[in-house]
Parts: sequence; C-alpha cells; structure tokens
Amino acid sequence: MGNEAIVMKDLCKDFKVLNRHEGLKGSIRDLFSRDYKTVSAVRNVDLTVNKGEMIGYLGPNGAGKSTTIKMMTGVLEPTSGEILVNGVVPYINRKKNCENIGVVFGQRSQLWWSLPLIESFKLLRDIYMVSEKDYQDMLELYRSLVDIEPILHKPVRQMSLGQRTLSDILAAFLHNPDIVFLDEPTIGLDVSMKAKIRSLIAGLNEQKNTTVILTTHDMGDVDALCKRIVIIDKGQKIYDNDIEHLKSYFGSYRTLRLKLDDDTWEETLIDESKTDIMEVINRADRQKKIRDIELIEISTEEVIKKIYEGEAS
Amino acid sequence: MTPRKLIALTRAGIMESLQFRLGTFVTLFANLIYLVLVYYLWKAIYASSGTDVVNGMTFNDTMIYLILATALFNFLEMFIVWDMSRSIQSGKIILDLLKPMTFRKYTFWSYSGSHVVSFVLTFIPTFVVVMIVTKGAIHMGLNLLWFAIATVLALIINFNIEMIVATICLYTESTWGINIVKETIVLLLSGASIPLAFFPDKLGTVVRYLPFRAVYDTPLSILLEKNGSDTISGLLSLFGMQLIWVVVLTIAGTLFWNHSVRKITVNGG
Repeated sequence: MGNEAIVMKDLCKDFKVLNRHEGLKGSIRDLFSRDYKTVSAVRNVDLTVNKGEMIGYLGPNGAGKSTTIKMMTGVLEPTSGEILVNGVVPYINRKKNCENIGVVFGQRSQLWWSLPLIESFKLLRDIYMVSEKDYQDMLELYRSLVDIEPILHKPVRQMSLGQRTLSDILAAFLHNPDIVFLDEPTIGLDVSMKAKIRSLIAGLNEQKNTTVILTTHDMGDVDALCKRIVIIDKGQKIYDNDIEHLKSYFGSYRTLRLKLDDDTWEETLIDESKTDIMEVINRADRQKKIRDIELIEISTEEVIKKIYEGEAS
Repeated sequence: MTPRKLIALTRAGIMESLQFRLGTFVTLFANLIYLVLVYYLWKAIYASSGTDVVNGMTFNDTMIYLILATALFNFLEMFIVWDMSRSIQSGKIILDLLKPMTFRKYTFWSYSGSHVVSFVLTFIPTFVVVMIVTKGAIHMGLNLLWFAIATVLALIINFNIEMIVATICLYTESTWGINIVKETIVLLLSGASIPLAFFPDKLGTVVRYLPFRAVYDTPLSILLEKNGSDTISGLLSLFGMQLIWVVVLTIAGTLFWNHSVRKITVNGG
C-alpha cells in the first residue's frame, strides 16, 4: 500500500427492483410478483484517491453518488469489481473500516439529540477508543479553528441547523479518521455559516492531512475546497480532473458583453480556441460605437450544469 | 469488545432518559389507572368464581403478580421495532451501521441506560409499595438475587425478540401491524396480562416452553417463589429454559440480522 486512500477498480453495483404495476389490481399483483428488473446504479467506475486529497464528488440527483459512498463505507457490497479503502475491503472488514472513516450526511445527525454536544463527543471518544491526550489535542485544534465554546454545552436539539452541522462535522473528525465523507454538508445553511464550515473543513484537512470526499450540489463548496473533481452520471464516471481543467471542458468559453451606443448590452459566448475576441470586438465596433466592454469567465456552476444536461455528448 | 464502549453508551443512555423525567411520572400515572382497572376486573372474576382460590392463586397472589408484571413490563419494554423503522425511513440507520461495533451490540447498549433508569424509577418504587402494602407476602432472601439474574436473562431474550421482529420489518417495509401482533403475542403468552396458571392445561404446557414466558413469568415466579422455584431443581429448570432461549435467540437473531443487513438498502441520500 502506497499513498492511496481509496482504490476502486471496475466497480459495479446492480439493484434488483420489483416491476410495480399500476392501480389497485396492480398492487395486489405486486404482492406475488417475481417480476424483477435489474437497475445498474454504478457501472465500471475506476477511481483512485490519494491520502490527504480533497475531492469534489459530483453528479446530478440519482447519478449513483450515494451508492458509491455506501460501497466505500462498507454498507453496500459491490456486485463486481474491486474496492480498497485504507487498504481494507470495506464490506468484509466493516468494523476495521469504520474505525478509520468519519461521515457527515447533511440532513441526518449522529449526535445524541437531547444531550449537550460535549456528551456526544465523550461518547464518540469512548466508542472509537480515542486516548485522552488525542481527544484533548483535537478539542484544542477545534478551538483554534472555530468558536466552539457557545455550542459545547448546548443540547443538540436546541441548536440552529448551522450549529448542528458544524457539530456533526466536528464529531466526524473527532477520532482523527483517515477519510471523511461529507455528503452535502452545507445544505440549507446561510452564506456566513457556509463560509465558516468551508474554512473549518479546509483547516481540518490541512492540519490532519485527512482525505475528504465531498459530495455537494453547491459549486461554492467545490470552488472553495476542491482541487480535483470527479463527476459521475448514470452510474458512470464522466470527468476526473483538476477544477481549472473543468472550465476548458467544452473549450475555453468566455462571455463577451458589449455595451453599445443605444445603451443595450449585447452578449456573445466565445470559444477562444476557435474565435479571436479582438475580431468580434472590431466587427461590432464597425457597426455601432462601443461604450463599455466586459469579459466574463464561465463559472464552475455553468460548466457543471452543461455536463449534467448532457451537452458533452 | 471492551467495556469502555459499553459503559459510555449506557452512561449516555441514562443521561438521555433522565432528560425525559416527566415521561416517567406519566408512565407511573398510566400504570395506576391500568392497575385500578385490573383490580376491579379480577375482583369481579374472583367474586363470580365463588371460591377464594382460583387455579391455586388467591386474589392477593394474582394482584401482586399482575402489579409486578406491569412494573416489569415498563422496565423491559423496548422500542427497537419503532426506532429502527423510523431510522430506516429517515436514512439515519446508516450512521448507526457505521459505528465501529456491530449494530446489535450498539443497539443493545444504547438501550441499556434507559433500562437502568426505568428499573430505578418505576420498578423499585412499585416493588417497595407492594412490599409495604402486602406486609411480607414477598419473601426477602436469595430469591431477590435469582430474580435479578432472571431479569437480565429476560432482558436479553426480549432484546432478541425485538431485533428479530425489527429485522422482519425490513422485508415487509411496514411496521405497525407486525409490531401490534408482536406486542399482543408477547403480552398474552408471557403471562404479563394473565398469569399462566389461568391458561387451559394444554395451552399452558405449550406456553411454558416458549421464549415469551421466559421474559415475564419466569422472573416473577422466581421472585414470588412460585412454580417450584423454591426448590433447587425447580429453579435450575427455570434458569435452564431461559439460558436455552438466550442462546437460541441470540444465534438466530445474529444470523438473521447479518444476512438481512447485507441486502438492506438505505433509502434516500
């Protein structure tokens, strides 16, 4: 084992789903039906993630993200293919795998609802067999990254969504796992809380060299945190590269906005590899006088949107 | 498996149960109403029978038995079936599955704290009240120790019954009906609502060998020194029956769960 945190080779997962029939009659028929169809949720995915890397794992709803994550955590067994997490096969060595990973699922909490946060921390400390020194060091690190004092003695059920999410992230990192899976950690949070959570994740990744697999629909998270992006759609990996590289995925697109004499803005989408921007400007200038010029970079969000909508093919 | 994890879970469970102390008082109050009903019901039964002793039990025997059975029921009651179906629906179960211990252990020890609390807050007070009111009808001796052991075994058997039913619910994807059936069967066949002495002979014999009886009737018989538990051989056969069910149900429950959990798909996300 070298530097890899996660290795997946040719990974597939099929689900057997009952063919449901319509109406009351159909429902009764379904009771005895053996009519299954196979749905492949993940198809031939190859992925290697190195230690300490922070990757954005993206894809439209229903693309197979959760299924892949469940296989990495050992909850689901792959139909075929190889998977190694920290050098162990997760669904076989489930307990060992669990000791080395942490998870945050945006809308579910692993904290004890009616107890103050500190009690959940103590419980996790004991469940994961963290030594007192490591535990104190971790709390010290948390204090240096965020202001945890106001929430430490607050019962979880009284927390705001932002505080709770923050607490859940801290809980996931508490036993200093090698890999942390963050599934939509900023869902439903306000702008300032999002920023706080992003800097916390970045800080923890930097200090502890934790590998982070970030699933999100918020491109702000990706822009702020991830150097590398993996996109999966219909169960297949369709993109795996740097975030910078992503912007030139469809060619180097930029939007040119020209303010003309009659006070209107004219927008043109330009692929720099094919068209020369100066030429477009000159052409426009010959027809009408140009008052102002803006050149807008295509945003990550727009590129991702295009990929999801299938413009790649 | 180290005790540190188990103690930590029990401790958190105790603290969490104590958050809901109002619930304890409501339970005590509800019990009181239930017991008033039971009192008048059995009073009528004894009045209509014309004798003081029915099926070898006096009215007082029956009342003591049923009051303690109610207290024991509150203490042993688990909500695994409900909790599990809820956490499957919300998808929260994945977080419990990802703890570094087996799900069964994690579940059992998450509940243990609330058992400790309900034992202290509902069973012991009820027991003390019965003891004072009946003035020595309950013998104070080694039977208390045997009762404690039998109760722990009963707890394990009950946990396994709950887990097995909860696992069945994974397949049926509906909980309500199955849980009602389970509760009715357990309450009836365990002797928690009608003392086993009142069962017809044939049914009574069958019921004596079922696991449900080991949950309520066995600990109570031992505490009240009934059903031959005042002799060594009687005691041993009661414990033996409990032990057999502990082993059988633990193995069956573990195998069934391990088989099922591999098939389970967590909804949503």
